[in-house]
Amino acid sequence: MQLTRASSVFKIRNTRVFVVMTIIVSAVGLLTTAFEGKDNFNHPDISSADSAASAAAFMKVYDVLMSPRCMNCHPAGDIPLQGDDSHLHTMSPKRGKDGKGIYSMKCSNCHQPTNVPGIGTPPGNPKWALPPADMKMVFEGRTARQLALQIMDYKRNGHKDKAKLIEHARDTLVKAGWNMGEGRKPPPLSYDEFVAVWDEWINKGGVAPK
Amino acid sequence: MITININSKNYDLDIDPETPLLWALRDTIGLVGTKYGCGVAQCGACVVHLNGEAVRSCVTKISRAAGQKVVTIEGLAVNDNHPLQKAWMELDVAQCGYCQSGQIMAAAVLLKENKNPTDQDIDDAMEGNICRCGTYLRIKDAIHLAARMQRDGVK
Amino acid sequence: MEKINQDNSRRTFLKSSFLAGGGLLISFALPEMLSAGTGIPDQPEPWNELTGYIKITPDNLIKILNPNPEFGQNVMTSLPMMVAEELDADWKKVIVEMAPHDSVKLGAQFTGGSNSVRMYWKPLREAGAAARTMLIQAAAENWGVPVEEVTTKSGMLIHQKSGRSTTYGSVATKAAALPVPKGAKLKAVKDFSVVGTSQKNVERFKIISGKALFGLDYKHEGMLIAMIEHPPAFGMKLKSFDATETLKMPGIKDVFRQTLFEEGFEQAGFDTRSFNELLVVVGNTTWEVINARRKLKVTWEAAGETKNTVGGRNGASTVSIPGALESTTTQLEQMKQMAAKPAQQLRKDGDPETAFKNAAQIIERTYNAPFLAHNCMEPMNFFAHVTDDKALFVGPLQAPGWTEPTLAKLFNLKSDQIEIQMTRMGGGFGRRAYGHYLAEAGLISKKVQAPVKLVYTREDDMTYGIYRPMYTATYRAALDKDKKLIAFHVKGGGIPEHAIHANRFPAGAVDNYLAEGWQIASNITIGAFRAPRSNFNAAAEQSFLDELAEAMGKDPIDFRIELLKRAKENPVGKNNEYNADRYIGVLELAREKSGWNKPENKKYSRGIAAYFCHNSYAAHVVDIVMRDGKPYVERVTSTIDCGVVVNPDAARNMVEGAVVDGIGNAFYGKLSHKDGAGEQKNFNQYRIIRHSEAPKKIDVHFVKNELDPTGLGEPPFPPVFGAVANALYRFTGNRHYDQPFLNPIGQGQGSSDNKKAF
Repeated sequence: MQLTRASSVFKIRNTRVFVVMTIIVSAVGLLTTAFEGKDNFNHPDISSADSAASAAAFMKVYDVLMSPRCMNCHPAGDIPLQGDDSHLHTMSPKRGKDGKGIYSMKCSNCHQPTNVPGIGTPPGNPKWALPPADMKMVFEGRTARQLALQIMDYKRNGHKDKAKLIEHARDTLVKAGWNMGEGRKPPPLSYDEFVAVWDEWINKGGVAPK
Repeated sequence: MITININSKNYDLDIDPETPLLWALRDTIGLVGTKYGCGVAQCGACVVHLNGEAVRSCVTKISRAAGQKVVTIEGLAVNDNHPLQKAWMELDVAQCGYCQSGQIMAAAVLLKENKNPTDQDIDDAMEGNICRCGTYLRIKDAIHLAARMQRDGVK
Repeated sequence: MEKINQDNSRRTFLKSSFLAGGGLLISFALPEMLSAGTGIPDQPEPWNELTGYIKITPDNLIKILNPNPEFGQNVMTSLPMMVAEELDADWKKVIVEMAPHDSVKLGAQFTGGSNSVRMYWKPLREAGAAARTMLIQAAAENWGVPVEEVTTKSGMLIHQKSGRSTTYGSVATKAAALPVPKGAKLKAVKDFSVVGTSQKNVERFKIISGKALFGLDYKHEGMLIAMIEHPPAFGMKLKSFDATETLKMPGIKDVFRQTLFEEGFEQAGFDTRSFNELLVVVGNTTWEVINARRKLKVTWEAAGETKNTVGGRNGASTVSIPGALESTTTQLEQMKQMAAKPAQQLRKDGDPETAFKNAAQIIERTYNAPFLAHNCMEPMNFFAHVTDDKALFVGPLQAPGWTEPTLAKLFNLKSDQIEIQMTRMGGGFGRRAYGHYLAEAGLISKKVQAPVKLVYTREDDMTYGIYRPMYTATYRAALDKDKKLIAFHVKGGGIPEHAIHANRFPAGAVDNYLAEGWQIASNITIGAFRAPRSNFNAAAEQSFLDELAEAMGKDPIDFRIELLKRAKENPVGKNNEYNADRYIGVLELAREKSGWNKPENKKYSRGIAAYFCHNSYAAHVVDIVMRDGKPYVERVTSTIDCGVVVNPDAARNMVEGAVVDGIGNAFYGKLSHKDGAGEQKNFNQYRIIRHSEAPKKIDVHFVKNELDPTGLGEPPFPPVFGAVANALYRFTGNRHYDQPFLNPIGQGQGSSDNKKAF
């Protein structure tokens, strides 16, 4: 909160100050996470230009992640969201421990390996699921900053290091967000554009914007 | 040619692999206990078991079921005496009856995975099955009764 | 139609007897076989000539034909119970069979209007009693004893003095040759042993084992599947189409344009149809047709104003159907404007204008409700095989007696050339009283010269029309300075008709009363929907009465009873439709059974409503609690006066269903339009109440009396809306005037902690 207030008071002139502070916070975060020994990509000594570019890239990433195609399966609660208006999923399927639903309401009972043609039919992917209960990776309701910090946090991101995060954008379930079947609005960037800004964000420091 | 095991019997079907399992069952094989209600996996009238999972057959391409085990309401139990079927009769659950085979098939997966379901478990498992006549209370009671029968080994 | 037996252990036996019997082993048929045998022609007098309900074999198989189509109201069980009661048959061994359509022998056969039990209450018992009398007479003659000495029990004839007994079956052939007695004595209610006891659904085993029961399950040698691509919006019609790609698809036989009714075709009351120019796709299997329809290239055009020729008592008249592409938003605006204009007076008592002028306080409230779709779980469908000299129709239908004359006219066939078999229906709710889909199926069959099953997809079904109308009503009440109700005014409107029942409560209870109605024509078609008109009135009026009670500082039950007592002791005006005592009866019972003022119920937001329709009285107390930040109807207490309850557990089931249906529609039901197109096309957009949203408990109580049965399928439904509205007011502190009360789409429930507000 203080950081946000500072940056808003100092506006653009003090952006650098803000970014540096952000990185310090992140670095402190890193020290307490399990990143050590893995790829410490978020070095405090990255250039300020890269920091700014990284943060800017994340804002584009954020637009994609908060679009219904991504956010709907990263809900705040244990019921996914649905539709371009991100309403609670009809019939309220529950996450379950492994994120694959429970009892007679497992995701794959309706979500097939591939899309089912037609309006209002369930989109498909062989891996269709929510994040598991012990690693919910909530997008819904997160600010850009909160979400960036969460994704960088090994403890909260599904235990992904830099390489795994980079790889995650190539995941077939992530990619399925751009192939959701008839009548569903795609994310605001193309898939290739998304991968580009995702990589840029991570490679330039994984900076959390203000 | 697609080979499927339905209710412990093998069928060789010369059919478009995109055909939903529902229509293969109803039109091609002649098992009409599985119902069409919405065609978009919203109502649950078409629930069958695919390798023990309560899939919505209206959106399940028959190619997904190739070489797999499918169980429909007609094959749920020998002599149609699954505890759920007995409980359904005992509590006279049905009104129009159209959704009930889907309800029973969904409930069967619940009872297989949870021998002693709570009301909440039943809601969680059954929310995908619409009953337009509103027999939800009796369905819940029947699932509890069937769970008791199953636990007590009532035959 | 297939036979049904209640005792599952006897299935094998029945099967073999069915196979061996061929003609169903009929040796005794009452009384149509009799009248045929004795050369007495069938009489046109409907009730006395209701015949053919009972068939008995020599080995004492007793079969009872159910005349009325079954759509979940359980007539397949309750109507034969009435026959069995007077016949003195062993109910556990009775075989029940669905009768085909035969309006001469079996009466109106109309399922709807909560009619079945009350319509058949006398004739079916009389048929049973007459048959029993004939069996007694046959046995008495065989034994050479006076008929008075022969008694019956569970399908047996007994002569106590000589210790002789025999089965009904053994004398059935002889009995069948006897004349039908008139006015056979019926049992007193206190002597009933079948009626009034809970008997299980005779088709329950078939239902839980997935047997073919419904129209969609019907199969016929050489049967093709047909679907109709109807316009995407009301007010549109087919202009042209290109079926080249569709015809290339596997299994597709034909694609063609078909006119439903030729110009000037005189439509009867239930010949409602939304689209007259049909684009038909015919193929081998359902999926092939669904799939091929996607390849159609169709051009639609504005239909403009169209004309319907509608038959009536005073000859045919022409009705204009407007051509605009209507939207819900503009419809609401139109209704607001119409509501401000003078309307048709439906009833007036005293001098309401002066009373309102002199009022110390005027309370005025407006209530609105949207179109509703029936959404029967089994979408519309019907099998037809029509040739030049005969027609067979099989499928789900509520009113064969009304559909048959239309089919006869359309196909130029006589009544006896048309056979209609009614399958079990996957829901009806009024929708299947409109037989356009039989006419369509028949025309398609004739055109392709093959047996055809017409199938509507869910989307076809939901967007076809025949909806519950869109309603509004403004209620006004004048109070004097002592907060006494001195005048009551209701002005209701609707698209395309209003809901006002001018002679119902509180008419008769207020000195100065005015009821008015208006309507706006539309091309969106409407039809009967579970308690037509009442299902809106009971929401609006019962909500308004609650507000009045609060304004007057009175308990809502006391206030209603006060008005009813006034209507009973010193009724205002004429033609008051209701019985105030029976109305009071359900309210008092609801007060008692719900523990209305008990402190332990303080935790609930409670609402009450009562309503009268279809000659029955129903009240509900709805208890709402907060669950996961949302209102949840946890418990409902229902009290019903419908006279004698034929099958109590089945009746309770129906009331439970009506309560769930009422909560669902009050909270979520909505069909809206944009430029003539329905905005809800399937259950992902049209919200139906689901498991977790049903109450934990519905406590049903019937008023005990010996009055002839009245309706039950509909009466418990309307007051649910009012009781929910009143409970919701106590829950939120705000009155909800517009249905649905909660958001129709995507409102979750359960133990979610999703933060997003809906």
